[in-house]
Amino acid sequence: MALRSIASKLALWVLLGTVTVLSVGGILLFQLVGHQILAQTHRESEALASDASNRIQERLDMVTNTDQVLAAIIGPRPVDAEPLLRDAISHNPDLSGLASAFVPGSAAALASGQSPFVSRTDDGSLTHRDLLKDPTPYWNASWFQAGLSCMNGCWQKPFYSQSRRRRLVSYSTAIVADGKAVGVLNADITLEWLQGILQDLDKPEGTNAFVVDQQGTFLANDTTELVGQHADAELLRTLNTHGAAAIRMLPSESNNADEPIWIYRAPIKGTNWQLGLTVPEAKIYAGVRHAFMATLIVGALALLILSLLMLVIIRRIITPLVVLTDRAEQVARGALDFALPATREHDEVGRLTHAFDRMRNELAMHIAELTRVAREQQRLASELEIAHQIQTALLPGPHYLDARCSNFELHAALQPARTVGGDLYTYFMLHDQRFCIMVGDVSDKGIPAALFMARAITLAKALAPRAQSPQQLLQLLNRELCRNNDGCMFVSLLCGFLDTVRGHLIMASAGHEPPVRWGREAPHLLQLETGPALGLDEEATYPAHRVRLQPGETLLMYTDGITEATNEALQLYGQERMLACLARYADTPDEDPVGGLVADVERFAAGYGQADDITVLALRWHHAGTERSASMLDITFAASMQDVFDTLERCDQTLEAAGIEDDVRDDVRLVLEELMVNMVQHGCLEQHQGNIGLHLTLADDAVLVELHHDGKPFDPLQSPPPALSGDCADAEELGGLGIHLVRAMASDLNYTHDEHGNHLQLRFVHANRPEQDHDLQPSQ
Amino acid sequence: MTFSLRSDATSPMRSTLHLQGRLDALTFGEFDEAAARELQHLEEGSTLVLDLSLLEYISSAGLRSVAKIRKTMRARNGYTLLLNPQPQVGKVFEIVKAVPVNEVFKSMDELDEYLDHIQRKMLGGGEEID
Repeated sequence: MALRSIASKLALWVLLGTVTVLSVGGILLFQLVGHQILAQTHRESEALASDASNRIQERLDMVTNTDQVLAAIIGPRPVDAEPLLRDAISHNPDLSGLASAFVPGSAAALASGQSPFVSRTDDGSLTHRDLLKDPTPYWNASWFQAGLSCMNGCWQKPFYSQSRRRRLVSYSTAIVADGKAVGVLNADITLEWLQGILQDLDKPEGTNAFVVDQQGTFLANDTTELVGQHADAELLRTLNTHGAAAIRMLPSESNNADEPIWIYRAPIKGTNWQLGLTVPEAKIYAGVRHAFMATLIVGALALLILSLLMLVIIRRIITPLVVLTDRAEQVARGALDFALPATREHDEVGRLTHAFDRMRNELAMHIAELTRVAREQQRLASELEIAHQIQTALLPGPHYLDARCSNFELHAALQPARTVGGDLYTYFMLHDQRFCIMVGDVSDKGIPAALFMARAITLAKALAPRAQSPQQLLQLLNRELCRNNDGCMFVSLLCGFLDTVRGHLIMASAGHEPPVRWGREAPHLLQLETGPALGLDEEATYPAHRVRLQPGETLLMYTDGITEATNEALQLYGQERMLACLARYADTPDEDPVGGLVADVERFAAGYGQADDITVLALRWHHAGTERSASMLDITFAASMQDVFDTLERCDQTLEAAGIEDDVRDDVRLVLEELMVNMVQHGCLEQHQGNIGLHLTLADDAVLVELHHDGKPFDPLQSPPPALSGDCADAEELGGLGIHLVRAMASDLNYTHDEHGNHLQLRFVHANRPEQDHDLQPSQ
Repeated sequence: MTFSLRSDATSPMRSTLHLQGRLDALTFGEFDEAAARELQHLEEGSTLVLDLSLLEYISSAGLRSVAKIRKTMRARNGYTLLLNPQPQVGKVFEIVKAVPVNEVFKSMDELDEYLDHIQRKMLGGGEEID
């Protein structure tokens, strides 16, 4: 968690970056300064070495000069040797002893009589001794032999004097007399001052100074233990190499050094000695290294403090961000009610906080709004579901079999494209064995269409008993639907009244799809003349179309949801496909063509989805046979008086035989007489007598009469009522009485006119028919 | 024979036509003729009684004949009274309101009483009767 936070990351990365930059810079600087320091050390050390060498040389020069002068003096006058020696030694404190050794037997030795040796004792007093009297003869000693050949003086090997208990080095010069070496003047020089010179040098710490002779023996050394010791071979070889005054010696090359050391040498002139300074490399860099270490520590501390400071500052800056992050996670979990950190600052974080607050509030509002909308939608959906149930309840069942005599069978299906739809179908029994069927399609879809559909279907049911024919029903329905129809909704409707006894079907269409008929022929469209859709033109009238269904024939009504079903390729299902599909049911009268057609349409439109409501209603005429409501009379005759009255007679007899009461019979007779006489007298077209068709049916509770006449159109319903004063004698010309009687007598009267002429449907109630059990009624 | 008419002329002031059968578009002509003959014998202010007891049926053609008779009788200041119409006939008369109700009688006695009443009224100088 701590490492994941932006503050830690930022602090860490800044720290790393700074450390890297500082380290690289420091190393580079260290290198640069190191070189300068080294060069400076070289210069200083070389100067120091040569300075020390000069001072030693000056000191030695005094001794060697003394020695050579004494030798030159003593050569011609050996007798004065001893006092000369004594003077010389007392004036030069560096001298420990002076000896003038003569070759025994030589002239000088003889002249002198002795080989004097003057030395300084520990307390500073001088002693004298004759070397010739020493138990060991000196003339065989190596120093004497070497000294004889040193005309200009030469240095002997250092030695430790037992008697004087100190280290000494001798300088010998041959004493020459008459061009011949007769003795050696030997000066013993103390080496303590050499050591002192070295120690007096203003050396940097760690620097070791030494003087080494030509044999490699330390004459003096800051490390006093090494004085008199032999220098190691490595050091000697280094000293004897030619070239620069400063030489670096690696630790692997030396036995007694464990680190690289720098050696500075300066030869001491007049001798074969060399003065050397050894400086350990670590010591050279120690100062700068120390300084850098200090800088490094300070820098690291500063960085640490900087990082902590940065951590604190960044944390302080991003603390609101942390809170905001937490809050954002809360928002993600759905909690919106929380406190935000107070911020007065107007930096990015402040703005972010304000924006977050606004966002939270907006979000809360949106969520509230969404919740409300969702609730609303849920409510709407449940209401729609209920509306769907209600709408379904408005429709009769999908299958109807004429229960009384199985004369016909009906299949229907309605599939709304949405929950509720604007399609409708309905069927119901009217009085007088008439059966009303209708299929309609409301413009538009959805709720408005559903409401309009409900209105249409309810009105249709309410108006149907008043209507004598489908065209009249459509007219009544149209007038009702036109009322207050500001939305200009309309419904196309195909309505049919089926005579359930004989299969006569009267249809009227209000702008609806033509029905399909098959059975005797292949499925074909029945092109009807249609009126305008219902709800548009209040004055519209609707032509009637008559069909007589033959046994086995089917009439199918549908809405454009069938023909306009669309597949993925945007092709319409169309009438051809529908007819082709229905052709498969032409030979199988027992199967339900509605289900098959709907399934076929669904298969066709499976990829595209149902776009419009689908409604299909199929009416199949079985004509199953003897019905209880018997057709009693069905005759056609010429429109003449005689025939009319013959028919009336037959009619009367038939009704009497059927047990119809006298009063009803009289009513029927009166009405028929009035109508038929009217037809004969007034209805005939010119040059054409015309025919009258009469059909008499006995229903449960009524006598049904159909009257057809191929004459002039005449609607008895439209004729004005006669002026009835209460006395028939009042009227000038008595007219319209017959029609008035007709209207008064018939329980129902319905008139239609089409290309076949006038059609009248009449109904006479005979509620008091004696036999209630019709099954026992012998068939006519 | 669907229709027959029997005339029963008791006096020039009063005649009774007994109608029998059906008076419809087919038979009204016959009735018209017979009625016209009968009317010739009646004087001003006479009374014609149409006995409908046996008339089974009447249609608008028959009604027109009856109306014609009533018009003729009225022109002569006479009365046309209907006697005992059968239910069907009565119903037709009722529907078209062919005859004032007080000129239709259930029986001969009622009719006689009415005629007596009229006679008294005429003798009594045109007093209104209740």
